[in-house]
Amino acid sequence: MNLLVDDGRHPKALLALENGMHFFGRSAGAEGETFGEIVFNTSMVGYQEIVSDPSYAGQIVTLTYPQIGNYGINEKDMQGDPLHLAGLVVHDMCYTPSNWQSVESFPNFLAQNGVVAIEDVDTRALTIAIREGGAMRAAISTTDLDPESLVARVKASPAIADHNYVADVSTKESYVVPGQDSDGQPRLHVVAYDCGEKKGIGKRLSAVGCEVTVVPWDTPAEKVLEMNPDGVFFSNGPGDPVSVPPVVDAVRACLGKLPVFGICLGNQVISMAAGAQIEKLPYGHHGGNEPVMNLLTGKVEITAQNHNYGPVFSSFGPLVPELSGGVAEHPADEDLRFWSRAHVAPVVQTKAYGRVRLTHVNLNDGTPEGIQFLDIPAFSMQYHPEAKPGPNDSTYAFSAFAKLMRGEDDYLAIDVREGRRF
Amino acid sequence: MPKRTDIKKILIIGSGPIVIGQACEFDYSGTQACKALRSEGYEVVLVNSNPATIMTDPETADRTYIEPITVESVTKVIEKERPDALLPNMGGQTGLNCAVALGKAGVLEKYGVEVIGCDVDSIETGEDRELFANAMRDIGLEVAKSGIAHTVEECEKIADELGYPVVLRPAFTLGGAGGGMAYDHDDLVHIAEQGLALSPESEVLVEQSVEGWKEIEMEVMRDSAGNGVVICSIENLDPMGVHTGDSITVAPCQTLNDFELQRLRDYSLAILERVGVACGGSNVQFAVNPDDGRVIVIEMNPRVSRSSALASKATGFPIAKMAALLSVGYTLDEIENDITRETPACFEPSIDYCVVKVPRFAFEKFKGTDDTLTTRMKAVGEVMSIGATFEEAMQKAMRSLEQGHAGLGADGNDDFDGVSEEEFEHRVATPTPDRILYVTEALRRGWTVERVFDLTKIDRWFLNRIKDIVTAEGVIAEKGLAGLDADTMMAAKQLGFSDAQLAHLTGQREDTVRAVREVLGVRPCIKTVDTCAGEFAARTSYHYLAYEKGGVTEFHEAEKPRVVILSAGPNRIGQGIEFDYCCVHAAYALAAKGYETVMVNCNPETVSTDYDTSDRLYFEPLTFEDVMNVIEVEKPVGVIVTLGGQTPINLAKRLKAAGVPIMGTQPEAIDLAEDRDRFASLLDRLEIAYPPSSTAETVDEAKSVARRVGYPLLVRPSYVLGGRGMGIVYDDEDLVSYMEEATKVSPDHPVYLDAFLEDAIELDVDALCDTEECYVGAVLEHIEECGIHSGDSACCFPPFSLSDRLVEKVRETTRRLALSCHIRGLLNVQYAVRDEQVFVIELNPRASRTVPFSSKATGVPLAKCAARIMSGEKICDLGLPPEGRDLGYYAVKEAVMPWSRFPGADVTLGPEMKSTGEVMGLDVTFPKAYAKTREAIEYDVPQSGSVFISVCDRDKRSVAPVALSLRNLGYDLLATRGTAKTLRAAGIPCEVVKTISEGSPNVLDLMADGKISFLINTPKGHSSRGDGTKMRSEAVSRGIDMATTMSGAVALVQAIAALREGPLSVYALQDL
Repeated sequence: MNLLVDDGRHPKALLALENGMHFFGRSAGAEGETFGEIVFNTSMVGYQEIVSDPSYAGQIVTLTYPQIGNYGINEKDMQGDPLHLAGLVVHDMCYTPSNWQSVESFPNFLAQNGVVAIEDVDTRALTIAIREGGAMRAAISTTDLDPESLVARVKASPAIADHNYVADVSTKESYVVPGQDSDGQPRLHVVAYDCGEKKGIGKRLSAVGCEVTVVPWDTPAEKVLEMNPDGVFFSNGPGDPVSVPPVVDAVRACLGKLPVFGICLGNQVISMAAGAQIEKLPYGHHGGNEPVMNLLTGKVEITAQNHNYGPVFSSFGPLVPELSGGVAEHPADEDLRFWSRAHVAPVVQTKAYGRVRLTHVNLNDGTPEGIQFLDIPAFSMQYHPEAKPGPNDSTYAFSAFAKLMRGEDDYLAIDVREGRRF
Repeated sequence: MPKRTDIKKILIIGSGPIVIGQACEFDYSGTQACKALRSEGYEVVLVNSNPATIMTDPETADRTYIEPITVESVTKVIEKERPDALLPNMGGQTGLNCAVALGKAGVLEKYGVEVIGCDVDSIETGEDRELFANAMRDIGLEVAKSGIAHTVEECEKIADELGYPVVLRPAFTLGGAGGGMAYDHDDLVHIAEQGLALSPESEVLVEQSVEGWKEIEMEVMRDSAGNGVVICSIENLDPMGVHTGDSITVAPCQTLNDFELQRLRDYSLAILERVGVACGGSNVQFAVNPDDGRVIVIEMNPRVSRSSALASKATGFPIAKMAALLSVGYTLDEIENDITRETPACFEPSIDYCVVKVPRFAFEKFKGTDDTLTTRMKAVGEVMSIGATFEEAMQKAMRSLEQGHAGLGADGNDDFDGVSEEEFEHRVATPTPDRILYVTEALRRGWTVERVFDLTKIDRWFLNRIKDIVTAEGVIAEKGLAGLDADTMMAAKQLGFSDAQLAHLTGQREDTVRAVREVLGVRPCIKTVDTCAGEFAARTSYHYLAYEKGGVTEFHEAEKPRVVILSAGPNRIGQGIEFDYCCVHAAYALAAKGYETVMVNCNPETVSTDYDTSDRLYFEPLTFEDVMNVIEVEKPVGVIVTLGGQTPINLAKRLKAAGVPIMGTQPEAIDLAEDRDRFASLLDRLEIAYPPSSTAETVDEAKSVARRVGYPLLVRPSYVLGGRGMGIVYDDEDLVSYMEEATKVSPDHPVYLDAFLEDAIELDVDALCDTEECYVGAVLEHIEECGIHSGDSACCFPPFSLSDRLVEKVRETTRRLALSCHIRGLLNVQYAVRDEQVFVIELNPRASRTVPFSSKATGVPLAKCAARIMSGEKICDLGLPPEGRDLGYYAVKEAVMPWSRFPGADVTLGPEMKSTGEVMGLDVTFPKAYAKTREAIEYDVPQSGSVFISVCDRDKRSVAPVALSLRNLGYDLLATRGTAKTLRAAGIPCEVVKTISEGSPNVLDLMADGKISFLINTPKGHSSRGDGTKMRSEAVSRGIDMATTMSGAVALVQAIAALREGPLSVYALQDL
């Protein structure tokens, strides 16, 4: 809301960054103070899904689209409950939304959920600062309006990797998402490790005929195996995967025993279990327009992404040249667009789980986006095939998991166009 | 897939002349396509009849044919050039229709030409409404319920089944021409008749109405591997019922949530797939029910379009360029994103600003026509603006229009006083060009958003934003200028208020506001259009200005000196693509000279607003405030104001006064030429003849001038372009009513009154001057006599009826004038020649509308030369060819009139310009060249049948030779009684036809029966309504060609004779 229209109704607020930058604005959610790691998301719509995505726990999210809140908040697009993100930065907040599904204005919703938010910030300048300076610690405050003081307190605040946010956001009790009919196929039973799972994932699994038992992040693998499910799913979640060793242990206990699928943090813990190293990207991928090539089909899908960490493909093991187009050495710069350009899905030999194939590559920066185990039934994706928000191109991933659980070979080579049926 | 090597030569068909619904966006797309394909090593052959385009510059394609876009003429080009492939989807509907026709005629097969980019079947599925509806049902999408009709009766039957209101859409017409919304049976019959007549297939779709639903467009691309991306979503502020070309549109979509938008994305991609778009860009339009989200597919265009040009400018993603590359086999992932140069083109742009497009109309030119906006496009141009918020962009767009608005009103230029309550409510409810101002005023008067929504169905989100603007107006007015501190001033600027608006609201002067703003440190920041919302670094300098706290600017220094080029703003009648052409040429020439070129413009359809054209592009309004903001940051060594038409000329004085270095002709010289009295005394001093003239500010003054000079008088307001408000008055009564009107059009300026030289020949001269030497680039002879606006008159180079001695005299006069006026750059002089006497009508110390034509006709790039002269070069260093050389061919320019869009307006040429575009014909004789222009405008001149002749008394003497020629060509003659008398007296047999007022059967009946091949009808006076008007309107709606001047009739008859001699040859510019 413009200052001249606001007329003093909302207090001043201050955003301060670890690098000393600060921005004055006005409160656009709950008043108070919040600390977190600042990131930006370039999705032009989908703010409701973004703020309710548990993966943002510990993070202050900057939305690059300048006018936010236009269509209000509806009852069906929540991805988690309550809200876990640390704070929100926007350029202009809308208090008078318009959409037939809207039940509440976005700023009121933030205030009711205790999310500290600031508006009237030059979000483009902030975004470029994050791009150039990397994800930084930051704070928003309506109480400490002294830039020097707030910057100093940001510098003294803990880093995101120091805390296990998964424990904060995971469900405390297990619950069941019923499966829908899927062309008369027998219902599949999936156990999902909730590290901060978006509701959209459960809905997508349900849509392909899976009954999903969602369990807390630290559920021992034995208990899961006792349930004798058709497959196990490892969800997305916040923070550094290094902070959740129990989940990596659970992955190890499941791999090779039954079909496994992971998304985002799930991909990272599966990769770690297979011996890969995890790196932190400079400022992560947060948005709904990241091009990813499925190397099995050669098709590009436009994906939704939200992660700061990801596996390093070469660290899985040495290439198997006969399955990698004759190439024996990983590209020295780790730029996996080497493979997408060649339309080759390279295969590496891991120590513990046999051969692993790179199936998906990010075309913007050549980072790995998906892997598939060739000798055991498992695959995972770094991006969000459930979208929410973002394009629906990658929803085939859930059909792929169903196919894998039904024992089909070649389950992952699905043309993105097959998902566009109405 | 890498690019194809089995094709080497590619034919591109352009879109022909600028018409309503098809403007210079296709020059932008076509030029991009030519550049992209040539840089990949393909040989490009181009056909386009429009000389005012960059694409028809001899450097743009390898082989350039300025020839009619007809099956016959393109076939000849194919015969001669033998291209391997045809890229049909760059030239709008015209190009696409021609490609389909070439396919149907078997030409493509015969010469082994492969259609690339799309195939004929997919074009048909996209365009044929029944095929399309079936295709949509196939993939489970809903289309509006509809039926196809080929007769009015069928239309009635379908409408009865669907229930009123219904929308009628004729098949295969441009910009929805001939379509409309029928609320009742009478409307239906009326629109159905029009639509059936205009549709080449006599086919009309009668469709359930979704008026009031949200209208959303998706700009989509697909490659041959099946990858699909959405480049941009566009939401129309005006809901369904107004043609998208006439709607205010906003990008990205504002009021749909992620689920709704992704659903439209899925639909769009599936539609491309189903329709069979092999690769390239398409536009898909949806209607979304605001109450339940229900979606109906409206249409898709399997080609680049006005919307794709807008989307390209809005996002920085060059759709046409990509489409061209995809057509030769590349896939999206193989092409680099131009702007980031490190990420692929296979992605979806994310934008971090708001874009608003507002159409510009010209109803004032077409008196008598209804200004209600419908599904049939009537806008002649558009502006686009970029702001950090919708509010900022909306207000910037309003002031970009150059229609006297400094924003959404609040500028002292609104006038709602004389409007009754009832009328006011009607103006809010009815979509017209001014509706947005009425909506704003309604909210200003305290109407609730709900009340306005009920009347307009404009989404409440937009209404609430406008309400915020008017709320702020109140706060600003209350605080006053002194009450605004840095924060509140910044807040006002963030809502897009211009200094002029703030001045009005606070009762201060604009300069004072600017000064206070400077003191408060409130300045706009430079931001960049980068396709990725800042995620990656941008390598191009495509900028906009926005007000942001913190002052973080993305300006970067450059080593080279900078030149700012001010372009021409929105296309309008009188100022179109020709001026943009000149600015683009200046950018090219100055870049070659080592300058860093900085373009400022707000017209998204143009080549000048391609970020590739200049080193830096600022997408900003061309107002003093906005231009100064750019200049203050860029600190150029010079600013060019004489190439962008009247728009930058109008800024020149203020810019100079503000200390801005003006490059080329100085404002003083501009003033000298535009000030009638000063210019007249210059002419007196030089002993150059001019029609007796004077100026007047009041009716009495005007009357006394009339008595001194004598009637008829050519009257016009000063400081206007395109003959706005110009007229010929024959008596006192005319004069009085004219003066009353004129003071409205241009209140602060006097009215010019010139003796009108009846039957004189008019000349247009384009020349260069460096203050020491003058080079006359072209002397153009008009076909129509004096009194017809030069922009509406056909003209020929070289002059076809003047002696060498006289042409030399004209050149000499031009030289003396140019040097006396201290012109440095281009000038244009208009002359009238009567009885071997040369009169100066006016001098324009700037590039003229005819510069592109003159450049192409002579092979001398005048605008480039002008830019070089402005930067200090001398004419003697430019290596120009001799002025009077014999070229061995004739080039004719003919104007294209938009009559069929404005039913009710009189169809006559006059001193006020009404044409939207032009075509060029080039051949070895004048009649052949003229014949080509007729073909290029798609005037169908039957080679036999009856010609109807009715001329005014003035022309009775000259009609006989024309009639005789027609007889000799085998036509039967029909005439009104008076004309018949003259013809019979000359011994020419003809049949008398009743005038309309004489009852039936009259000329209207004969036209309806298809018995008239064409008409020769010269009206008398300037306001002859009645029979003549009805007849001419009827001819327009039936597509019957007509000549409304004797000189035009003579040329037409010559052209018909030339066509009888056999088919016309085609010529490539490169061979001349």
